[in-house]
Amino acid sequence: MSTRELLPTASAAQTWAAVRVMLRERRLLAASTIAVLLAGTGVGLATAPLLGDIVDLVATRQPSSAITTPVVLLALVAVAQGGATALGAALISRLGEGMLAQLRERFIDRALNLPLEQVERAGSGDLTARVTGDVTKIAEAVRQALPLMARSALTIVLTLGALAVLDWRFALAVLVAAPVQVLTLRWYGRGAKTMYSAERIAIGEQQQQLLETIGGSSTVRAFGLADDHVRRVTERSSHAVGMTMRCIRLLGGFFSRLNLAEYVGLSALLVTGFFLAGNGTATIGTATAAALYFHSLFNPINAALSLADDAQSAAASLSRLVGVADRPEVPSDDTGTALTDTTVKVSSVGHAYETGHDVLDDITLDLAPGERVALVGASGAGKTTLAKLIAGVHQPTRGTITFGGTDVLDLDQATTRRTIALITQEVHVFSGPLSDDLRLAKPTATDAEVHAALDRVGALPWARALPDGLATVVGEGGHRLTVAQAQQLALARLVLADPPIAVLDEATADAGSAGARVLETAATAALEGRSGLLVAHRLTQAAGADRVVVLDHGRVVESGTHAELVAAGGRYAELWAAWSDQR
Amino acid sequence: MRAGEPTGRDVLRSAIKGQWRNVTAASIAGAGHQAGEALVPVIIGVVIDRAVSTGATVELVWWLVALGVVFAVLSFSFRVSLQAGELASEKAAHALRLRLTERVLDHRGGAKTGRLAGGLVTIATSDALRVGHVNRALPTAVAAGTGLLVGAVALLRVSVVLGLVVLVATPLLLGLAHLLGKPLERRSEAEQERAANASGIAADLVAGLRSLKGIGAERAAVDRYRGTSQGSKDAAIRSATAQAFLDGSMLAVTGLLLALIALVGGTLAADGSITIGELVAAVGLAQFLLWPLNVISWVNGAFAMGRASADRIASVLSAPSALGAGSADVATPVAGGIRLRGLTHGTLRGVDLDIAPGELVGVVAADPADATALLHCLAREVDPASGSVELDGVALSTVDPARVRAAILVAAHEADLFSDSVVDNIRAVSAKQSDVDLAMTAAAVDDVAEALPQGADTIVAERGRSLSGGQRQRVALARALAAAPPVLVVHDPTTAIDAVTEMALARGIREMRLGRTTIVVATSPALLAVADRVVVLTDGLLTAEGTHASLVAHADYRAAVLS
Repeated sequence: MSTRELLPTASAAQTWAAVRVMLRERRLLAASTIAVLLAGTGVGLATAPLLGDIVDLVATRQPSSAITTPVVLLALVAVAQGGATALGAALISRLGEGMLAQLRERFIDRALNLPLEQVERAGSGDLTARVTGDVTKIAEAVRQALPLMARSALTIVLTLGALAVLDWRFALAVLVAAPVQVLTLRWYGRGAKTMYSAERIAIGEQQQQLLETIGGSSTVRAFGLADDHVRRVTERSSHAVGMTMRCIRLLGGFFSRLNLAEYVGLSALLVTGFFLAGNGTATIGTATAAALYFHSLFNPINAALSLADDAQSAAASLSRLVGVADRPEVPSDDTGTALTDTTVKVSSVGHAYETGHDVLDDITLDLAPGERVALVGASGAGKTTLAKLIAGVHQPTRGTITFGGTDVLDLDQATTRRTIALITQEVHVFSGPLSDDLRLAKPTATDAEVHAALDRVGALPWARALPDGLATVVGEGGHRLTVAQAQQLALARLVLADPPIAVLDEATADAGSAGARVLETAATAALEGRSGLLVAHRLTQAAGADRVVVLDHGRVVESGTHAELVAAGGRYAELWAAWSDQR
Repeated sequence: MRAGEPTGRDVLRSAIKGQWRNVTAASIAGAGHQAGEALVPVIIGVVIDRAVSTGATVELVWWLVALGVVFAVLSFSFRVSLQAGELASEKAAHALRLRLTERVLDHRGGAKTGRLAGGLVTIATSDALRVGHVNRALPTAVAAGTGLLVGAVALLRVSVVLGLVVLVATPLLLGLAHLLGKPLERRSEAEQERAANASGIAADLVAGLRSLKGIGAERAAVDRYRGTSQGSKDAAIRSATAQAFLDGSMLAVTGLLLALIALVGGTLAADGSITIGELVAAVGLAQFLLWPLNVISWVNGAFAMGRASADRIASVLSAPSALGAGSADVATPVAGGIRLRGLTHGTLRGVDLDIAPGELVGVVAADPADATALLHCLAREVDPASGSVELDGVALSTVDPARVRAAILVAAHEADLFSDSVVDNIRAVSAKQSDVDLAMTAAAVDDVAEALPQGADTIVAERGRSLSGGQRQRVALARALAAAPPVLVVHDPTTAIDAVTEMALARGIREMRLGRTTIVVATSPALLAVADRVVVLTDGLLTAEGTHASLVAHADYRAAVLS
């Protein structure tokens, strides 16, 4: 098992603060929701006293016609309670779903702005589980637990009040059950916290495994690894089932103890009624009404206390969402403008992903505006890391990187994003219409701009030839694009984003040499009018660049034009010889 | 609908059937629990009549003991019912999850057509759970029915009229609940579809995180997600409003039933035909009956959701296979002779090619689409439109795809690595440790391991994204070599690898595959130079053939490889 470093989870205080803020934003809706729920519960509470009235009327031997009034009132209460409950539930879903949507949108906003390193350490299953599983859990709590809990709590408090009004000694008798309930809740709370978070983690791991197995199904099939992966899914899923059952056993113990409380309370009431009626200080009718009151509290008490369970797991889910959603907001980049001076200076930069494992050391490198520099070196020489550092994906462990004289760390993200773009080895085609994919780079792009961007990277002919043209649904589950096409799309996005500096990391390497040539042309076109740093594997790319920088074991070993380096007879000349020998 | 393909109903039925023991246990115990709950108000009435009214201490003690026994029984039954029901629910969901996984991994394919991986995962988690919940809803329904029955019998013993009121009103309520549940079912289905869509989009955005961040498109992606999320929200509110209407109506109707019982019981008590204790029991019973009656609408909702989810699961399980099974078998041991005859698929237009057992052949495709089409046919991911691919004289289209893939391994260019250590990713496909060691050396994974914090035992983060492109390709190549299949097809295995290392890998492939058929689909001169023979595909046709050295003069070859 890998040691994952999960994404942040909020503390209880932070979680509640976040909820309070969202509630405050919906003050009016929240207030009217509470008012309607209160009205519904208040009306419903009349049921028990009305039934008590009927008993009293019978006990005092009134004519049967006398019960018509309480019965009609009971019917009215039923209708009013039904109406208020429906309205209250509709309002509460509006309130809850609104907050939920706000929360998950903010979650995605922060999640997409998380540093990549952090997401990778946590596994994208963690993100996905939070956005699907946790959101569902909270949605269920919002739709079911919240209204029921509010109603139950109100019923309990008001009924106990009514019981005290009836005769204070009955209220006292009922309180005999309270210690059992308090102890039960405390016992439950102790076990529940750890068990529910263990359950959530187990479910997250199961989700991660399913994503990996289903997402990688073609590889699984090709290597005949299906049995192995079914076994992995079985293990993770069984583990999740086991964790859930552990929580359920706890829940069973919880309800057993509550049953004991019911028995204790009811017996105390009946014994009290027996003695009070015996010595004539209370009527049989009062004793009856008291017993009925308490019996009518069984369901609300159980509901309220058992919802502590739903509330518990919803709170755990909520803290996982808030943990990410509460990260500081990344300022909107609508205001960001690209820097005008786009000179890049890398000074004495070193980098290590793990302390003691230096990937880069003492790198110094300049990129003049409009210049095209090729990074060359063996696999693992640190080219990708350097590209990522310059593009601002990672922060260097040592040294500084400046754009136009300003340290990258001092630039706001919006400016950095407008100034520099990175096309990585990972080429993802976003599922949805092709034109939507491109508009991610520039949401305001007109059809003409989208066409022009595709045309510039030579993708327009095939894009037009797709079944539905630019409206064709591409990506997972849609029309499959070839690797070269996907990379052309990435370059077209670069054209639309139009930053003054672009870093291309192996962007042309993945398509075979026929595709690579098309992509080299596309890359050259896409880089026109901007500074470019290319991670080059094909030395033809390096040969066409203004300057070549050779990296070896994390250090710059040579720098100069292609001709200079070939003439110098160093590392680059060696590589070039190996390359051109094949020609 | 073809025979043997599960419908939503089949999925639901098998989920219940597979857990019938637990479901039965939960039902019986649940019934016991409800019977106990129904007896509580009856005993309260008895205590009022026999003890509180008369002052008889012995009666009080005796009936309180009886009440204790009832509580003990109902408490124990509840625990059993809860655990058995939940176990049935979870186990059914677990079984469905595995069936879905197996279907997705089925060699004949087809399950993923038109679906997002994230959406499929949602089906395997949320929808499987919803179907499993039916196993909790069913015992709950039985328990509620028992509660109703015991309540009705107790009421009938108090008064026939009262009992009849309950027995007539209850089926009416059931019918009403079913009627009101129908629109909820439709709403729920639409809502869940949109929720699945939203999570699919979220998963897709998370998967494309690097591409998004590279061009600073986080904001645009967030804005797009907001649209999806708002759509989900509106759907959820519509569904919740329908549910609220249903719940409110049920509450009103059950409240009216209570008023009716109070009217009839009160009148009878006033007439003196029932005692005060019996009236108390009747009112208590009427209050108790609210629960089983309310539960009916919950059960209905759970079944509605279960049915909708079962339909979605069934649509995956019954997705038509992309391929027929095939009854023929490949020769054992596989010699490894490959013959293409008039192969026409995608952009390929009648390719003829013979590859002798043990030969190392390079295939150069000027158009990547030609390469893709050829690879799909060799892996039997598809059956060609016309023509054939034969292995040792047996047409692949007549052989079970699983058997084909055991004989011919097509190592795709975009290979997924899994969340294991580097060495375990390779070991997973190989029976022999010596093959693993050789493959790691041949693919220069040793160098990769050296640069990693825990060497070859470093855990690969999801699908290999924690490695650089060149590192990943070398691990993937080592895995393909370690699998040591009779026929190995590799596609552009070294595109992210520098020229010096690439030459070493080319030699590694040649040495490790000596005597076993190997097809290298690539345009890299380093790889093609070690091949026994190289063939060139241009515009879907075989246009040239020879060794790398001899083909250098060929124009198509030069255009594809040497420029």
